[in-house]
Amino acid sequence: MGRFVPRLDDRDTGGFFDAAREGRLVYRACLDCDSALHPPVAYCRFCGGWNTDWRQASGHGTLHSWTTVTHQVHPDYPPPYTLVLVELDGPTPPVRLLGMLPEAADLSVGLPMEVYFKDEEGVRLPQWRRASN
Amino acid sequence: MTGAAFQARDRCAIAGVGQTAFTRDSGVSVLSLATKACLAALADAGLEPGDVDGIVRCQLDKVDTNSLAATAGFSNVTYWGEVSNGGMAPPAQIGQAMAAILAGLATTVVCFRSLNGRSEDRFGSGEHRSATPVVGGRGSYDEYFLPFGLMTPGQVFALLAQRHMAEFGTTSEQLGAVSVICREHANQTPHAQLHGQTLTLEQHQDARMISTPLRLYDFCLETDGACAVVVTSAERARDMKRPPVLIRSVAQAIPANNRAGMMYSSLLRDDITNLAWTEVAEVLWTRAGLGPSDIDVAQLYDCFTISVILQLESFGFCGRGEGGPLAASGTLARGGDMPMNTGGGHLSEGYIHGMNHVVQAVRQLRGDADMQIEGAETSLVTGGPLPISSALVLRRG
Repeated sequence: MGRFVPRLDDRDTGGFFDAAREGRLVYRACLDCDSALHPPVAYCRFCGGWNTDWRQASGHGTLHSWTTVTHQVHPDYPPPYTLVLVELDGPTPPVRLLGMLPEAADLSVGLPMEVYFKDEEGVRLPQWRRASN
Repeated sequence: MTGAAFQARDRCAIAGVGQTAFTRDSGVSVLSLATKACLAALADAGLEPGDVDGIVRCQLDKVDTNSLAATAGFSNVTYWGEVSNGGMAPPAQIGQAMAAILAGLATTVVCFRSLNGRSEDRFGSGEHRSATPVVGGRGSYDEYFLPFGLMTPGQVFALLAQRHMAEFGTTSEQLGAVSVICREHANQTPHAQLHGQTLTLEQHQDARMISTPLRLYDFCLETDGACAVVVTSAERARDMKRPPVLIRSVAQAIPANNRAGMMYSSLLRDDITNLAWTEVAEVLWTRAGLGPSDIDVAQLYDCFTISVILQLESFGFCGRGEGGPLAASGTLARGGDMPMNTGGGHLSEGYIHGMNHVVQAVRQLRGDADMQIEGAETSLVTGGPLPISSALVLRRG
C-alpha cells in the first residue's frame, strides 16, 4: 500500500504542491479584497470576483489543536504520532494546515509553530514543528 | 432565517418503525438488512409493500432504491429521493419524505439506512482501502489531510475535543459521563449491542487512549444493522395501526462560514467548536414554535462523546462552553429533566448512522420504548455535523 501521496495536479490545489516542491508555502487569496480562500477555490465569495492567486505565507503559525494518535488504523502510519492543526499567522479568514510530528507529544493550544519542508514518498510537503524561539 | 413561512408543522407523521438486530456480523447482505427493516416498519404501520409509493435513501447507503423496491416488493414506487451526507442525512430524509407527501408526489414513503458497519465497511478503519496511495483532488481536498496522517472521523473529533478543552476547560470525565449515561440506557434496552455490559466512569478513564484526548469509550460502535421508518400524512396516520408521531419541525443548514470540502474541511471553519448544529437549531426552533425547554427526550447524534457536548451548546440547552458540566449533571440520564439517547445511542445501542435515533424517538412518543420515559411528548432528533447537518422535532400525535 504505502503511505498516502497527495494528488499533485488538481486544478484548484495543484499550485500549493508546485510551490512546496520549490520550498515555498503559499495559500490562495483574493487579489481584490485580500480575503484568504482556504481550502483553495478559484472564486472569491467575499467580493464576487475571479481575481485570485497564490500568495506567499510567512511560514509561521499557531497551534490551533492537536491529537496524539495511539491506535493504529493504517499499516504504514504506526502510532504514536501527533497531528497538529496549525493556523497561519496573518491571513484572514483563518488558514489552517495539518502537519504531523512523528512521535507522541505533549503540546498546548496556542504554541508558536514553524514550517519546514520534507520529502515523503518522493513528494516535498510542508510540515510543521514547534518554533525554535 | 426561513422559519416564518413554514407550512408543514404537524401535517405529516411517522406511522411505523422497523429495525433488524444490531450485531458485529449480520451474516447477510445490506440489501437483506434493508429489506427486513423496511418490511418490519410496514408491518408496524399495518401496511403492505404495495402501499409504498416513495423511498428516500441516504447517499452513503450501499442499497439503491431500485434494488430495495425490486427485492421488498414495492411494486408501486413513483417517487424517490436521496439525501447526503452519511450521518447528517436521517432527519433530512424524513424532511424530504414529508415535502414529497405535501407536494403530492407520494403518499407513503419509506426512509431507511442499512449497513454492515462492522463486518464489511468499517468507518473507523481509516481510508487505506483505496486502491491507490494517491489521494485527493476533484474537490475532495483529501490531499491536505490524508498524507499527513489524518484518516478517521475519530481523529477529527479528537482535534475538536482538544480545542473545546483548551477553550472551555472541558474534561475527560465530562466526556465519560456521556458514555456512562448511554450505557445505562442500553442496559434497559435488550436489543442494544452492549446490553448487559455495565460501564463506570472509572472504566472510561482507565480505557486505552485512541487519539488524545479521546479514549475507547468516547467512540461509538461499528454496527451491522438497518432501521426504517414509514412517513405519511398525519390524516392517514391517524387511521393506521399505531398512534401517529407528528413531524413538528425539520431543518437542514449549510453554515455561512463553512469551507469547501467534506468532513476534514470542518477543521478549517472559523470556529471548530461551534458546528452546523447552531444554524440547524435556529431554523428548527423557529419552524417548531418550540425551544429547548419544551424537549422531553433527546436523541443526540453521538458518534463520539464530544459530539453530545457540542450539541447541548448549539441547540441552546446551555451556554457556550457549558456543555461539559451539563453532560455531567444528571440532566441527561434516566430520571433527569431531559434523558438522552434512551435506547443507548450510537455509543451503546448501535451505529445505524442516525436512523436508530429516529426509531427510538418514535417509540418514546408512542409510549412503547424499552426504557420508557413517563410523559414523553416531544423529542429532538439530530444528525451528524461535519460539515452540514439536519434535525427533527417529533411530537406525540
